[in-house]
Amino acid sequence: MNITVLVGDMKTGRTGDILVTHALGSCLGLMVFDPMAKVGGLLHAMLPLSSINPEKARGNPAMFVDTGVPLLFKSVYEMGGAKERLIVKAAGCGNPMGKNEIFKIGERNYTVLKKLLWKNNILLKAESVGGTASRTIHFEVDTGGVLLSCNGTKGPL
Amino acid sequence: MRIDQIGGMIKAFPAMPGAALKLLTLTDAPSATVQQIEDVLRQDPGLTANVLKLANSAYFGIPSKVGSVRQAVMLLGLKRLVQMVVATCASAIIDRGVPGYDLPAGELWRHSLAVSVAAKGLAGELKIQAADEVFTAGLLHDVGKLVLGQFVQEEYTDIKRALAQGMTFEAAEAAVLGIDHAEIGARVLAQWSLPENIVHAVRWHHAPEKFGTVDIMLDVVHVANMLCLMIGIGVGREGLLHEPSPVVTRRLGLEPPHLEKVASQTLQWVSELSQALAVG
Repeated sequence: MNITVLVGDMKTGRTGDILVTHALGSCLGLMVFDPMAKVGGLLHAMLPLSSINPEKARGNPAMFVDTGVPLLFKSVYEMGGAKERLIVKAAGCGNPMGKNEIFKIGERNYTVLKKLLWKNNILLKAESVGGTASRTIHFEVDTGGVLLSCNGTKGPL
Repeated sequence: MRIDQIGGMIKAFPAMPGAALKLLTLTDAPSATVQQIEDVLRQDPGLTANVLKLANSAYFGIPSKVGSVRQAVMLLGLKRLVQMVVATCASAIIDRGVPGYDLPAGELWRHSLAVSVAAKGLAGELKIQAADEVFTAGLLHDVGKLVLGQFVQEEYTDIKRALAQGMTFEAAEAAVLGIDHAEIGARVLAQWSLPENIVHAVRWHHAPEKFGTVDIMLDVVHVANMLCLMIGIGVGREGLLHEPSPVVTRRLGLEPPHLEKVASQTLQWVSELSQALAVG
């Protein structure tokens, strides 16, 4: 079944499911997959830190990287995923052109992600981050295969 | 000539319903009366029905039933009412797919709504006063894409080549097609005889520092547009190939928390507004 993950949203799936998210601009798309248990999850987080709007974060932790990433891992563990087997991939975190730091939400999203993963001893297996393109992800939970569509081209991540 | 073809399409672009345009002109005049509004709406029963449906929608949260145009104007205020009427009319024009920009049906409309609400929200967050027309300017800023989409599609190989040289998307449009979507949008709105400040905001929404005058409304539309693309609302083939103006950032006093706070609320604002408009 195709399961769509909206902006500020997180979904998990099992064999037979394809987790899909569209139009990753500066947002972070994070995929977590356990090849043994064949479970996985996809997060589409918009902003780096929940402290910007704590009320929103209470209702929707997936909107923020600092609350969404723990939620994603916890949800995959609850489905039988084990930390030592997890394959983690990241996409998105783009930025507009120019040097205007204020608009580099994508960069800030990526920084918060890397800090969280580093603190928890987790490495990214693959990533396609930065740049100006909008990215779309199809994550096949059966195989863990990730198809990245970007600028009219498609390829595995 | 390509540019003549584009000019022809601008001339043939659908018009806004006359009543909506009259209302917009009326709100520009400080002396507009409820009676004048009623007179305009009386000529268009469909629009009157929409006004009442909107006024009674959950979006405005008015507890008692609104039964007349007069009551609606009193409760919502003239400007807010006209904005909503214009939005219902604009949806008929904007709510469709634009293949050249890789925007599926509904996505340009959602982007238009998002820029409207984000621009208003941004002014609030920055505690600055933007003209009331900011909502309408946000809503109509990308109307030019509806004309240019087909040409972007046809000439995409050349556009891609221009982009590879480091151009912004709108600069590549202008380099290859002789005109960009912002200028086309402004020409369409001028043809509709919309207030000048809206036309300017649409014309310069990618290059606010090129407009000779400082206009806060234009500045917030510029920032809101960038922000909505970044959070994936209406971002298609152009991706994030635009450059946010450092001049605007400075004069607005914009900092990351302002942007991120508005971003965190935009999706909810969009869904509330589109639900309200869907009753039409």
